[in-house]
Amino acid sequence: MLMCKGLAEIASDYIDDELNSRQNLSVKMHLMMCKHCRTFIGNLRASTDLLKAHSSGRDNEEMIRRIDERVAEALKTWTPEGNNTE
Amino acid sequence: MDTSVQPDTESSLIEDLKKGNATAYKHAVREYSPGMLAVARFYQDQSGAEEIVQDCWVTVIGAIHKFEGRSGLKTWLHRIVANRCKNKLRATNREVSTDFSETLDPELASRFKSNGRWSLPPKLIFHESADTLMENEALSDCLDKHLSTLPETQRSALMLYEAHQHKSEDVCNILDVSASNLRVLLHRARQKIFLMVETFQETGEC
Repeated sequence: MLMCKGLAEIASDYIDDELNSRQNLSVKMHLMMCKHCRTFIGNLRASTDLLKAHSSGRDNEEMIRRIDERVAEALKTWTPEGNNTE
Repeated sequence: MDTSVQPDTESSLIEDLKKGNATAYKHAVREYSPGMLAVARFYQDQSGAEEIVQDCWVTVIGAIHKFEGRSGLKTWLHRIVANRCKNKLRATNREVSTDFSETLDPELASRFKSNGRWSLPPKLIFHESADTLMENEALSDCLDKHLSTLPETQRSALMLYEAHQHKSEDVCNILDVSASNLRVLLHRARQKIFLMVETFQETGEC
């Protein structure tokens, strides 16, 4: 029988729907009986969503500026065939 | 925040890049560099990774006319970065090592009794939506801090899969890890974020 620890080990696979149907059923059965694991799965899912929302929103402005400079420099030798050196 | 480019917008961007349009390059650099950096960070430290990303953009200028759109632009760019990193690794003969044996984070693993039941179950439910939580500047800073302490492999996998929303097979290709090892990387990283948010909600501290 699936225990809490075993469920925690495969929790991400459950969230991402990567389990086979037998495993999926045993997780669902366990979750029906276990409040702690329901909370755990909910929170792990929330953490995952948090990361999606966090995304790459905080771009490194300095890095972008340095890349822009390098690209602008390289574009000076641009040709339609793309046969600029480098 | 979804930063993915719509297919029709992407194809007109690609056309502009092929014409060497400077504005298009500015836009593309802003849009795609963070993801490219995430790939490079799998193999390199911060400054090495940035250098690789810069070099790749120069390569892109010379190679974009060969881009046929069989994959998305983002995936194409990430492959260029990954290949460059792998070549560089081969040249310096440095290996990327990762431990894929443990599925559970040690801190989380210690919260179970020997019979497999919780001894320290999660106490709080994360009620607020992700977007509301991210408006919390302190939590957002905390997340940054924890992301920066994750092992490179975990962070890259996490950023590509969650933040840049790549498909698993693309992440495996880009990072050269097997599908099952990717699952371990993702799960380990998510547990860390889970533990971080839990501590933050309980104590208000990072």
